Amino acid sequence: MRIATGILIAVGLVLAAAAEAHHAFATEFDADRPVALRGKVTKVELINPHSWIHIEVVGEDGTATTWMIEGGSPNALVRRGITRDSIPVGVELIVNGYQARDGTNRAVGRDMLFADGRPLFFEGTQVSE
Amino acid sequence: MKHSMTRLNRSILAVAVAGALASVAALPAAAQSSDSGPRTAWGDPDIAGVYAQYTTAPLERPEQFGEREFLTDEEFAEVENRRLTARELNFESDTEPGTAADVHYNLDQFALGANEGVSSPNRRTSIVTLPANGRIPAALPQVAERRTANQARTRGREYDGPEFRSLTERCIVWSSTLPPILPGGYNSNMQIFQSPGYVMIQGEMGDPRVIPTDGRALPENLLPQWNGTSVGRWEGDTLVVETAGFRRETAWRNSSEKLHVTEKFTRVDEDTLDYAFTVVDPETWAEPWGGVYPITEMENVLFEYACTEGNYGMANILSGERAREREAAAGQ
Amino acid sequence: MTRIPNTAFILIAAVICGACASDEADGDTVEFPRTAGGQPDLSGVWQAVNTAHWNLEPHVPGYPVLLELGAQFAVPPGPGVVDGGEIPYLPEARAERDRRFANRLTDDPEGKCYLGGVPRSTYMPYPFQILQNADDILIVYQFATGTRRLFVDGAEPAPLDSWMGWSNARWEGDTLVVEVTGFNGQTWLDRAGNYASAGAKVTERYTPLGPDHLQYEATIEDASVYSRPWTIRMPLYRIVDEGFQLLEFKCEPFAEEKVYGHLRKPGTEFPEEVRSQ
Repeated sequence: MRIATGILIAVGLVLAAAAEAHHAFATEFDADRPVALRGKVTKVELINPHSWIHIEVVGEDGTATTWMIEGGSPNALVRRGITRDSIPVGVELIVNGYQARDGTNRAVGRDMLFADGRPLFFEGTQVSE
Repeated sequence: MKHSMTRLNRSILAVAVAGALASVAALPAAAQSSDSGPRTAWGDPDIAGVYAQYTTAPLERPEQFGEREFLTDEEFAEVENRRLTARELNFESDTEPGTAADVHYNLDQFALGANEGVSSPNRRTSIVTLPANGRIPAALPQVAERRTANQARTRGREYDGPEFRSLTERCIVWSSTLPPILPGGYNSNMQIFQSPGYVMIQGEMGDPRVIPTDGRALPENLLPQWNGTSVGRWEGDTLVVETAGFRRETAWRNSSEKLHVTEKFTRVDEDTLDYAFTVVDPETWAEPWGGVYPITEMENVLFEYACTEGNYGMANILSGERAREREAAAGQ
Repeated sequence: MTRIPNTAFILIAAVICGACASDEADGDTVEFPRTAGGQPDLSGVWQAVNTAHWNLEPHVPGYPVLLELGAQFAVPPGPGVVDGGEIPYLPEARAERDRRFANRLTDDPEGKCYLGGVPRSTYMPYPFQILQNADDILIVYQFATGTRRLFVDGAEPAPLDSWMGWSNARWEGDTLVVEVTGFNGQTWLDRAGNYASAGAKVTERYTPLGPDHLQYEATIEDASVYSRPWTIRMPLYRIVDEGFQLLEFKCEPFAEEKVYGHLRKPGTEFPEEVRSQ
């Protein structure tokens, strides 16, 4: 029996392939460089192997810096109706993550939220179709 | 060099042919079911679709089950209850901030943290069913020798450039898309496409395998390929696929280029196929091993996985290491 | 595979077209394989045989992009495949094309093992395989293991941009018409810098020309780049080698030094032992 889509399913079993680490994230990004960023979206790359969302962060002195924030593959999002218009340019995001080890303005987005606190892409407890 | 038939002649011919077709015997109807299951328009068993590979059974059998292949009714009820229970999307990080484990994007935000909500009941205690204890046989000593030799060869050079990074970091091949296909971490889905005389199988993050189903044997001298070479045949309602001729570097589960995989796809019900496999590699395991698990149709599409095109990660890994080296040099 | 016996078609054609026997292409068309549903069966392995992958426009022979490669990698001459000869670029777009040509060694995505997109994948100098059933058509390209799914009678728009685009197809008589949109704008049309933007719409037409030939046309519309839609046209030739199976051309390793070489650890070089693997 197929489970209706729209309900995420919990299973206590860890998939063996979690050990197949795609990525040396800890080499790319620095656990000792946490960042909390707030900025307006300038570009959205919903691509593989990882998505990248570009935001413009305005510092206290008024200078604007563009940050690239790394996320996940968009393939499951596509199946849930996410399109290229789902994150409009100009919308404000809050990003908690870790900065690139080489000190450039890149970060992996541990959590990405809209300014009102909603998580990026999904809100609430169920995935909507 | 346009086709020179006039439109009028084509219409006349089309009408005549249509009339003739109506009286040509043995024209197969659109996909029809026989007692053994749905068929394609040309009469092969219909196994086409997009399938989720997620299953509740673990790859290897937990030791407490011994040689027991199936769950009891009580055990199965518990597994089913967990499988069917909705859970909250976990946007709160459950890893310790400031640790390497926390340096990762949030899988749930991209709907990658679970199995995308599609799966089938599985009464088995494990995916592996051969050998009888449901556990993968121990690797032969030469496997450790190969790995030691490889590590010695590249020691100290792992970050010099891209060439000694993993096949996934290099966007060459994801082991979870190679035959035998086992459930993977995310995007663990495959497409099966059928046309007369061929089946195409492609894992969402993998390469297409175009498999002739005319029962031809594997060629004698196979050119090594990352995905090997596959040939197929129908045995009743089961598609049997043989794959061999892997490159040495593919090393699926540390196997050698002698790896030979047999896969069997059989429709179980309208939503489910049984995916069974056997693995033989005399330079990796002393005995064949294999297993079976259900794959479940998802009414959706696989999306393009252009990996190397978007691989900022490789550049970031290398530049990150260059930065670390500069820091280390400056600190001296 | 069940198919209508060719003799039935030939008999019918002879009865109907006795008066047009001089039109020799008629006999060829009716021998093209057909599916159970009556459409041309495009299944098989195909390849373009021309210099379109070098340059869609007419071109004289040219120097290799790296002089030390000599005649082996010089550009051969070609009459071009563009209807009307030249691509109707807007003036600033033609300048952009020329800029890309000047920078082709570093910028051509083909050299990075990036997917060829549409229509370039069709006429890259490698075979591709079409698999066809009534609902869907799949095309598998040898280069970089590209694949496209053509949704027959599909009407969904592209959910996201992609390298190979999003393909909705329909039959118009014996022609498969494929409308491709949703490009990410990062592919080129050939090795000469010809290009389209992400807003391009490509309409392909595949029409049987004979039992082992297809006619391929692609019309490209992109108002930000061209002054009008334009069309390329070429035959596709069936690979008839017995037992032919498409081989893998996973070019990712061969592009690594090109793409990431500038990030190599200082004092080290590309390890030659990798080259001989």
